[in-house]
Amino acid sequence: MSAPPAVGRTARAAAPHAPSAPSGPRPWTRADTVRTTLAAVVVVGLLVLAAWLHTSPWGPRGGVSLLVGTALGIAFERGRFCFWCIFREGIEDRNTRGAYPLLVALAVGATGYALVLGLFLPDPHAGRLPPEAHVGPVGWPLVLAGLVFGLGMALSGGCVSAHLYRLGQGHTRAVPALVGVLLGFGVGFATWNAIYLAGVSRAPTPWLPAWLGYGGALAVTLGVLALLAALLLRHAPPLRAREHAPMTLPKVRDAIVRWRWSAGVTGTVVGLAGVFAYLRVEPLGVTSQLGSASRTALAGTGLLPERLTGLDTLAGCATAVVQTLTENGWLVIGLVVASFAAALAGGRFRPTRLTARGASSALLGGVLLGWGAMTALGCTVGVLLSGISAFAVSGWVFAASCLAGVWAGIRLRVHRLT
Amino acid sequence: MPRSTSRPAALAVPILLVAGLAACSSPATEPLADDAAPSAAQGVAEAAPALDARSEVTGFENVVVSTDWLAEHLDDDKVAVIEVSVDPGLYERGHVPGAVNFPWHTAFVDTVTRDVVPPERFTELAQEAGIDKDSTVVLYGDSNNWFAAWGAWVFTLYGHDDVRLVDGGRGAWESEGRELELAAPTPARGTFEAAQADPALRAFLPEVVEVATGDREATLVDIRGAAEFNGEIFAPEGVQELSIRAGHVPGAVNVPWVEAVDEDGKFKSVEELRALYAEAGVDGSAPIITYCRIGERASHTWFVLNKILGYDAKLYDGSWTEYGNAVGVPVTNPAGTVWGGV
Repeated sequence: MSAPPAVGRTARAAAPHAPSAPSGPRPWTRADTVRTTLAAVVVVGLLVLAAWLHTSPWGPRGGVSLLVGTALGIAFERGRFCFWCIFREGIEDRNTRGAYPLLVALAVGATGYALVLGLFLPDPHAGRLPPEAHVGPVGWPLVLAGLVFGLGMALSGGCVSAHLYRLGQGHTRAVPALVGVLLGFGVGFATWNAIYLAGVSRAPTPWLPAWLGYGGALAVTLGVLALLAALLLRHAPPLRAREHAPMTLPKVRDAIVRWRWSAGVTGTVVGLAGVFAYLRVEPLGVTSQLGSASRTALAGTGLLPERLTGLDTLAGCATAVVQTLTENGWLVIGLVVASFAAALAGGRFRPTRLTARGASSALLGGVLLGWGAMTALGCTVGVLLSGISAFAVSGWVFAASCLAGVWAGIRLRVHRLT
Repeated sequence: MPRSTSRPAALAVPILLVAGLAACSSPATEPLADDAAPSAAQGVAEAAPALDARSEVTGFENVVVSTDWLAEHLDDDKVAVIEVSVDPGLYERGHVPGAVNFPWHTAFVDTVTRDVVPPERFTELAQEAGIDKDSTVVLYGDSNNWFAAWGAWVFTLYGHDDVRLVDGGRGAWESEGRELELAAPTPARGTFEAAQADPALRAFLPEVVEVATGDREATLVDIRGAAEFNGEIFAPEGVQELSIRAGHVPGAVNVPWVEAVDEDGKFKSVEELRALYAEAGVDGSAPIITYCRIGERASHTWFVLNKILGYDAKLYDGSWTEYGNAVGVPVTNPAGTVWGGV
């Protein structure tokens, strides 16, 4: 078997704290077959669960949510689609390779959204916003939330969706981080009313198609994405040489299970998942269930303001006091379990050792993530991914301020506190 | 299926006489000769004449359609299907083929002043939706047709006489696995023009206070749950539409809206409905006013009483959020709950 030169890079990228693989491909062992079969069983189990959900009280929306979560979990894990890693690699290592899956996801998402929005709201100039799309208010609270979220990413080593899929990889630091997210939501609820009155209630919700139509908005969005892709090209690593050997089944297997998925495939899966989610259920987001869990837990304690003003008039990852699992909950479950399956198959499931310093920095970072996600009405998935796909200016603003927050965190070297 | 078209008022008498003779069951229906003059007083000594709020077209088969009927008439040009759902995105993600969306927050209400949608705007919306004067307007929606019933009331208020609800609403259509469409239709412009709002179908606060003090004869039907009716709670958990006082309008009877439908959300039979309301003392012998918390669920019961059972029933759309917040009006509060929790 000839050695694809990418092995070392793939192994280092696969798990930040795992030892790098020896050069040359690790031969496929029986243990690999067992793990991969187990992983396949887990994925089939998720599909069966989704089919059952269709007939359950959650209905088709629950089933589709689980399927979308499963696709995301696999794509995130296989494509290393982690916003923190993307930003960090670009800023610290001057390696922009990670940006491309994100740019592709945004391009595919925006294209799909243009089609769906044209159906849901044929006339974008009528002064109405499309139902439930994550077009949020733009003001200083959004910018501040993005900055804080970015800092939290640097401190805890990931954004919310990254912690979820890394949890599936056995990344124990994700646990205190997610606990911190729940606490951070609580703090966010406490500060929401004041912030809403000071900066959100009168903030505009700029939406590109209202001025440019869907074609214009899509053209502008794709244009900006293409420009970014071109600008970042100079810091992208060189392409690996193609082997001139026939495609065999083991190569296909390795490509699916072991080697990092290409930017095109990863981005397309993520982008399509977002479009399917919006078409059938609601825009993609991962913080709705977490935020709702936080809100429900705090609802009886008297620590929460009785009413969160204006929240039901704003589009985003809505939180509510809920008694049970929501559709978003199924999405998150699918994400974590499918990521676990993908990691298991490729031998990347390795529970990492957690230090006290690593846990506390993750917890504190998580609080920042939670506060930022509550105040921005979503995280990198809900606001950045779903917002930009829906041609919301809020998506771009959050992306910029989040990047600035990450940059600040790296400058302050908080990401070294593991 | 008999359909109504605009006819001169003179023909109303023989039609209603025939309908009255055909409606064999209940002895409670009033003699129909009074209906010939819709604005005649109802024989009660009072300052202002009571207006007869009975619709021209009543009877289960004339105002309620089944999902089968709807499926058969999807291509019928004379049938205009309208969805009135409160959950956002529901219509967009799949609706009855050919149905036009009337988002109730903006299509059936005035968004600034608390009032029904102004007639000019309503005419515009109806014409854009392709509704003619002689169309059969069929409404359906989520939440047990609550908001579709409100829409039916508004259409009737503005003078459209062939308004029907789909039995079981959106839920029935979906659970029967019937086809859904994604695209919003673009019908040819209609000819419907909203008439002056019919005052006979709508009650305002002064009239309700007169009923409460005994200066006007009418039966008030409070369709909220028993806990709200009794004053134990101001509103169900999580609801933002609160009032400063709890309880009900003095003299009102409590028949929660849910009693008018079966578990699947479809209306009970006419006999069951008559018996249900007769038990509460509502038999059509006195004018009826329905109310709830914000007025839209009460339109569901209004539809049952006025359209299905043919009683003289009007809607008090201000409902408890107006009455329970009004200064100085009489209130009955059995539970004695005090605002502020003392």
